[in-house]
Amino acid sequence: MITRRSTFRIATGIASAAVLGSPAAYAADQAVKVGIDLSFTGADAETAARIANGAILAFEDANAAHTVKGVTFELVKYDDATATAGQYDPAQAATNARKMVSDKDYIAAIGPQMSGAGKAMSPILSAGNLATITPSSTNPDITDPKFAAEYRPAGKAIYFRTVATDAYQGPNMANYMAEKLKIKSVYVLDDSGAYGVGLADAFQKQAEAKGVKVLGRDRLDPKAADYSAILTKIKAAAPDALYYGGVGQAGVKLAKQAYEIIPNVIKAGGDGMQSADLLKGAGFPAVQGWYATVASPHVTDDPKTAKFRERYFARFKIYPDDYTVTCYTAAQVIIAAAQKVAATGKPVTRDAVRDAIQNVALPDSMLGPIQFDENGDLKNKIISVFQIQKDDKHPLDDPASQYKYVGVAPMS
Amino acid sequence: MKALDAMFTSIAVRPFAGMAPERRRALGLLVLAAVLLAFPYIHDNDGDIDSAANAMSYAVLALGLNIVVGFAGLLDLGYAAFFAIGAYYYGIFSSFQVMPPWSGFWDPFAMLGLVEKINRGGPDLVHFTLSFWLALPTAAVVTAFFGILFGAPTLRLRGDYLAIVTLGFGEIVPIVARNVDSVTNGAAGLNGIQAPKLFGHSFGVSATPYYYVGLALVALLIFVSLRLRDSRIGRAWMAIREDATAASAMGINLTRFKLMAFAIGAAFAGMTGVYFVAKLQTATPEMFNFAVSSMLLVMVVLGGMGSVWGVVLGAVLLQLLQTWFLPELTGWVHQLGAALGAPLLQQIDFVNSTQLIFGVILVVMMLFRRDGLIPATRKMPALSYAAQHAEVRRGGFVNLDRIPRWSPAPGNALEVRGVTVKFGGLVALNAVDLTVPAGGVVAVIGPNGSGKSTLFNVITGLVEANAGSIKFEGAELLGLAPHQVLERGVARTFQNIRLFPNLNVLENVLIGQHARLRSGPFASVLHTPGNRAEEAAATGWAMDIIGLFGNRLMPRIAQTVSGLSYANRRRVEIARALASRPKILLLDEPTAGMNPAETLELAEQIKSLHELGLTILLIEHKLDVVTRLADRVVVLDHGDKIAEGRPDEVRRNEEVLTAYLGRAARAALMEEDHAR
Amino acid sequence: MTAVDLFVQQLINGLSLGAMYSLLALGFTLVYGIMELINFSHFNVFMVGCMIAMLTLQAMGLSGQSVILSGAPLVLTLLAGFGVSMVLCGFIGVGIERFLLRPLRDVKGPAAMITTIGVSYVLFNLVLLTLGSDSKNFPNPLPPVVFPIGGAVLRLREVLIWITAAVMMFALNYFTRYTKLGKAMRATAQDPEAARMMGVEVDRVIMISFFIGSALAGASGMIFGLYYNLAKVDIGFAAGLRAFTAAVLGGIGNVPGAMLGGVLIGLIEAMSAQALGSAWSDVVIFSLLVLVLVFRPAGLLGRLAPNKS
Repeated sequence: MITRRSTFRIATGIASAAVLGSPAAYAADQAVKVGIDLSFTGADAETAARIANGAILAFEDANAAHTVKGVTFELVKYDDATATAGQYDPAQAATNARKMVSDKDYIAAIGPQMSGAGKAMSPILSAGNLATITPSSTNPDITDPKFAAEYRPAGKAIYFRTVATDAYQGPNMANYMAEKLKIKSVYVLDDSGAYGVGLADAFQKQAEAKGVKVLGRDRLDPKAADYSAILTKIKAAAPDALYYGGVGQAGVKLAKQAYEIIPNVIKAGGDGMQSADLLKGAGFPAVQGWYATVASPHVTDDPKTAKFRERYFARFKIYPDDYTVTCYTAAQVIIAAAQKVAATGKPVTRDAVRDAIQNVALPDSMLGPIQFDENGDLKNKIISVFQIQKDDKHPLDDPASQYKYVGVAPMS
Repeated sequence: MKALDAMFTSIAVRPFAGMAPERRRALGLLVLAAVLLAFPYIHDNDGDIDSAANAMSYAVLALGLNIVVGFAGLLDLGYAAFFAIGAYYYGIFSSFQVMPPWSGFWDPFAMLGLVEKINRGGPDLVHFTLSFWLALPTAAVVTAFFGILFGAPTLRLRGDYLAIVTLGFGEIVPIVARNVDSVTNGAAGLNGIQAPKLFGHSFGVSATPYYYVGLALVALLIFVSLRLRDSRIGRAWMAIREDATAASAMGINLTRFKLMAFAIGAAFAGMTGVYFVAKLQTATPEMFNFAVSSMLLVMVVLGGMGSVWGVVLGAVLLQLLQTWFLPELTGWVHQLGAALGAPLLQQIDFVNSTQLIFGVILVVMMLFRRDGLIPATRKMPALSYAAQHAEVRRGGFVNLDRIPRWSPAPGNALEVRGVTVKFGGLVALNAVDLTVPAGGVVAVIGPNGSGKSTLFNVITGLVEANAGSIKFEGAELLGLAPHQVLERGVARTFQNIRLFPNLNVLENVLIGQHARLRSGPFASVLHTPGNRAEEAAATGWAMDIIGLFGNRLMPRIAQTVSGLSYANRRRVEIARALASRPKILLLDEPTAGMNPAETLELAEQIKSLHELGLTILLIEHKLDVVTRLADRVVVLDHGDKIAEGRPDEVRRNEEVLTAYLGRAARAALMEEDHAR
Repeated sequence: MTAVDLFVQQLINGLSLGAMYSLLALGFTLVYGIMELINFSHFNVFMVGCMIAMLTLQAMGLSGQSVILSGAPLVLTLLAGFGVSMVLCGFIGVGIERFLLRPLRDVKGPAAMITTIGVSYVLFNLVLLTLGSDSKNFPNPLPPVVFPIGGAVLRLREVLIWITAAVMMFALNYFTRYTKLGKAMRATAQDPEAARMMGVEVDRVIMISFFIGSALAGASGMIFGLYYNLAKVDIGFAAGLRAFTAAVLGGIGNVPGAMLGGVLIGLIEAMSAQALGSAWSDVVIFSLLVLVLVFRPAGLLGRLAPNKS
C-alpha cells in the first residue's frame, strides 16, 4: 500500500548542475538530507514559500561553494498542512517528523512554522535525536525547561530557534512603550493564533508590571472582516496605545480600520507586523506610524544584509522578509555545524550535528551573533524596534526601506 | 476495481440475498486483516506507519459521521465539535494543565489512580492522571452526552436548519476551547498529554503501537456499525432517513432514535479524539475547525453514504491522496518535466491544488456516482420470468394458517367524538363522530378534500385536533405521538404510499414490527441470545406476512421498494402495517391505481383479514369495494359528516348524491366551457 | 465619547455590517425559497464578486487609496464596478445551476447541497492559485466625507452601503411580489409541479433566481471591497456563514426575513463585541440562532409550510 515516501524533493538548481556537470569531482561526497517542514499549502502557504526561500538560497550557496568538504546537502520539503485541516495539521507534522527520524540520511531539520506543529514534533525529534531549527515558531512552552519531560524526553535540546520567543518580544516592547513612548494606558488585542495570543499575553503581563493601565483585552477573529465594533470600543476607552499580538491576516484589516477609527492612538505589534504583506495589503496612509519589533539586533548599513537582499531578489523576484532571514540563518547554522563536524574528520551524523548546533557560534549572521542556550533558545535576546515611516524614494511595499529602526527595546 | 467492488459488496450482503459468498467474504477479510496486521513489519518506516494511523483516525470519524448522516440522514456539518470534546477531555485530564489545590476530596480518586498529589512549591496540587484505556470508553460516554445536548434543540428542525445549527455548534466549540485558556491553554495548545501505557510501558513516540490501537479501533467500530445497521436500531434510523413521517407512523420514536444517532455518532468521534491527542500529545483549537467537518463529509460522500465499508475506504483514500499520492505525483511530473526539458511541467504542484482536486471530486461524484465508491444499496437479484408474471388470485390471502386469529373484545374499538381540525381558517374536520365496532369494517367515503385523510391523520397523531376525543379500546389517543398510537395497536397505510424507498421489501416489513421489538443498541451490537431470538422471530413473522401475498411479493423480498410496481408497493405498505400486529388497520385508498382484477384480489384479501377478526377502517372511492367489504359507511363532505349507515342505505342518500353528483355536474359544465 | 455616542456609533457599525449580511442573505433566501437548497457556493461567489470588482476598478486606473473621485466620474466608476461584478457573478451562478445543479434537481437527499460545497472549494482554490492568498488593497474612490452625529461619526461609505442594500431589497421585494416573473418565482417555490402545469417555465425561473441571487452576491462583493478597502480569498466563509445564519434567523425563503435577520446579526455582532468582547461574538450569534430556532423553528418571519404529504 504505502511504500513510497510522501515527500517531494527540490533538486536545488545549482547543486544538481554541479553534480551533473562533473560527476567525478564530487562522486565521493556524502549526500546528507535536511528536512524543511513548513505549511506549504493552506492558509499559511505564501509565508511558508517565502521562509523556505531563505533555506534554499543558503544550501544552494553551500553546495556551489562546497562549503562543507565532502558533503552535499539535499533540502527536502515537507508540508505539514493538510486539506483536512485546511492549514497546518499537527498530526501531519508528527508524521513528517517520524519520516525524517526514520531516515538516517537526515542530519538536521528546519521548521516548523507553527508552534502547534512544533509541540507535536518535538518529542519525536527528541527520541530520534534529530535537531530542528525553527525560523518562526515562538511559543515558549516547547523550550521551557518546565516542560522538558514532555518536549525533550531524551534530555538534550533538539528544538532550536533563530527567533526570540514570545517571552522576550512582548515584555521588552512593553518596557519600550512604557519608558520611551511614555504611555500610561494600553489596549491589547490578539488574533486568536498561538503566536498572537502568546505575544499579547506576555506583553500584557509586563505592561501591568510597569504600571501601564491595561484598559482592555480582546481577540480578533482573523477570518472576520469587520473590526469596527471593537475599535469603537477602544476609541471610547481612549487608551494611549494599542498593542496587537498577531500576524498580517488580521493585522492588515486592523491597520486599515484603526487608521480611520483611532488615528491618534499609538499602535504597535510584534514581528508579525513587520511584513511586506502589511505594507501591500493595508498600504499608506493606514500603516503610517505603526511600531513593530524584530527579535534580533539591527545591523544598520551592514553590507552583508544589502548583498543578501540583492541576491535574494535576483533569485526569487520578491523582497525577503523577516522570517526569510531567520530561515536563512537557520540553514547557515546547520551548514556551520556540519562544517565543524566534517573538520574533525568524523562522519556527519545527526548526533554529531546536534551537538555541533548546540555549541555553534555564528558571530556575524544577519541576526547578529548566534549562540544557543541549553534549552535551544537564542542566547542573544535583543529586541529591535521599528516604526513605519513612509519613504517615497523606495518601493512602498519593501519592508527594509519603509520600516525605520528606532532603537532597542529594554530588557526587563 | 471491479473485483474489489465485488468483495466489499459481498461483505455487505445481508441475510437471504445469498449465503454462498459467506466463505469468500470471510477469506477476504482474513487476508485484509493479515496484511494490515503485518504492515508495520513489512514496511518499516515510522512516518508511513504514522500516516496510516492518521488515516485510521479519519476512518473512525467517518464511521461516526456515517451513523448520523448516512444511517439516520441527519446532516451534521459540525461533527468536528465532538472530536474536539473527546480530545480535550483526555488532554485536560491527563496533563498538567488544570491543577486544583489538593484536599481530602481527592483521596478516593487517588486510590483509583485517577489523580495524584504533586507539589511544585507552595501548596499540594492535584494532577489528573486519567489512563488512556479508561479515557476511551468514558470519552464515548461524555461525548455521547454532548451529542444529546447539541442534538436536542435541533430535533424539531428540518434537515437544512439542522445543518446550520450543527455548523454553529461546530464553530462554537473551538472558540470556547480557544477562549477558556485556563482550562485548555487556549490557542497555544495543551502541553504534555500523557502517552498511553500498556503493562507499565509507555507507547512513547513510536508510531507502531498507535497504529495497532487505531487498527483495533477501526475494526471495532466497523463491527459496531455493521451490527447496528442490521439491527432494529439501524432499521429505525434508515426509516427516519427515508421518510420521517412514515417512520413515526410505523412506531418509531423520532426523538429517541435521532438522539441515539447523535449520541452514538458523537461517541465515535469522542473516542477518536482521545486516540488522536494521545498520539500527538498536544491539542490546539485549530485542529477542529470547519475544514475538518466538511472534509469528513467529503469522505462519507466519496465512500458512499450509509455504506460502512465505503466510508472507511473514502476516509483512507482521501487521507492517503493528500499525504502520499499527490506529493508523489508532483514528484513524478517534475521528473518527467526534467527528462523532457519542459519547465512548465516542473512547475506543476498538485499539493497546492489538493483542495481544488477535492472540490472537483465532490462535484463529479455527485453528478455521476452519487452513491459513492461502494454504494450502500446493493444490486438487486434479477427476477425470473415466472416471478415477474404473477397471476391474479382469487379467494383472499394464501397461507392464512400462519397468522393468528384476532379475538377482539366486544364493543366499540374506535370512538371518535366531535373531532374538529382547523388549518388556519379552513375547517378540515368539523365535529366529526365515528365509531368502529370491534371486528367490524367501516368505510369512509367522500369527495376529494372532504377530510378523509385528515381523519386518518388525526387518529394516528400526525395532525393535532382542535377539539374532540378519540378513544381506542377506551383509552384516549389524542395528544399521543404517532409512534405511541401505533404502539396501542393502530396501524395505517397512506393514500400516496409512504414506504422507505431505498430499503427492500423485507426491511420495510421488519420496520413495521419496530414497536413490537425491544432490542437496544447494546443487545444489538453484542447479539445477545435474547436479541438473536427476537431477530429470528421478527424475520419469521415478516416472512409470514409477506407470504400472505404469495408470489406477488415473495420473489421480491430483496428488491428495493422504489423499483416495485404501484400495486406491489401498496401491498408492501399493507404488509408493513400488518407486521406491527395491529388491532385496527386504517387503510387509505388501498386499491387506488389498481386495475379491476387486482382491485378484486385485494378486496378479497382484506376481507379474509376481516374474517380473521381484524378491525378495519377504510377510505375508498370504489363503491363496489366499499359494498363488498364494509358493514357501515360514513360519508364526509367539506369536513362534515353528512351520512352514515349501511352501504345500500348510503347509496340512496340524497345528500350523498348531491355531494358527488353536484360536483360532477359542475365539473362537466366547466369542462364544456373550457372546450369552447 | 459619551455612552450615548458610543451606542450610536455601535449602532452605525452594526447597521452597516447588517446591511452587507442582508444583501448576502438575500441570495441564500432566494435560492432556498425556490429549490430548498442551501447554496454553499454562494460564499465564494461573493468572494469572486469582490475580486472581479477589484480588478474592474483597477482596470479603470484606480489603485489603493490614491485616487479619489467625485461627481459623475465617481458615479460612473461605481456603476461600472457594480455592473461588471453583478453580471459576471450572475453568469457564474447560472453556470453552476445549469451544469451542476440541474442534473440533480430531482435527486432526493443532500446531493445538490454537497455539490455546492464542492463548487465552493473549486472557486476558492481557483482564486487562490491565480490571485494568491495575500490581502489586496481594494481601490476606494469614495471621498472621505464624514457626518458627525454628536460624538459619533457617520461616513459616506456607510450611507452608501445602507442605500444600496435598501434599494436592492425593495427592488427584490417588489419584483417577487408584483412582477409576472416574480409571481412565477413564488409559484415555483410553492410547488414546482403545479407551477409547471400552469405554464410557468420552471427551468427558466430557477435559472433567473440563480442569476439574481448570484448578482446580489456580486454586489455584496463590491460593497465589501468599498467598505473595507480589502479583498482576500478567505473573506467568503466568515461573511457567508453569518449571512446564512441571518437568512435562517429571519426565516429562510423570506425576503423581509433576510433583511431583518441580516440587520439583527450585524447589530448583535457589534453590540456583543462592545459588551462581551469580539472573542465571543460568534458564540453569541450561534447560541441566539439555536434559541430562536428552538422556539420558532421556521425563523422569525418564516411560516412552517403545511405538511406536503
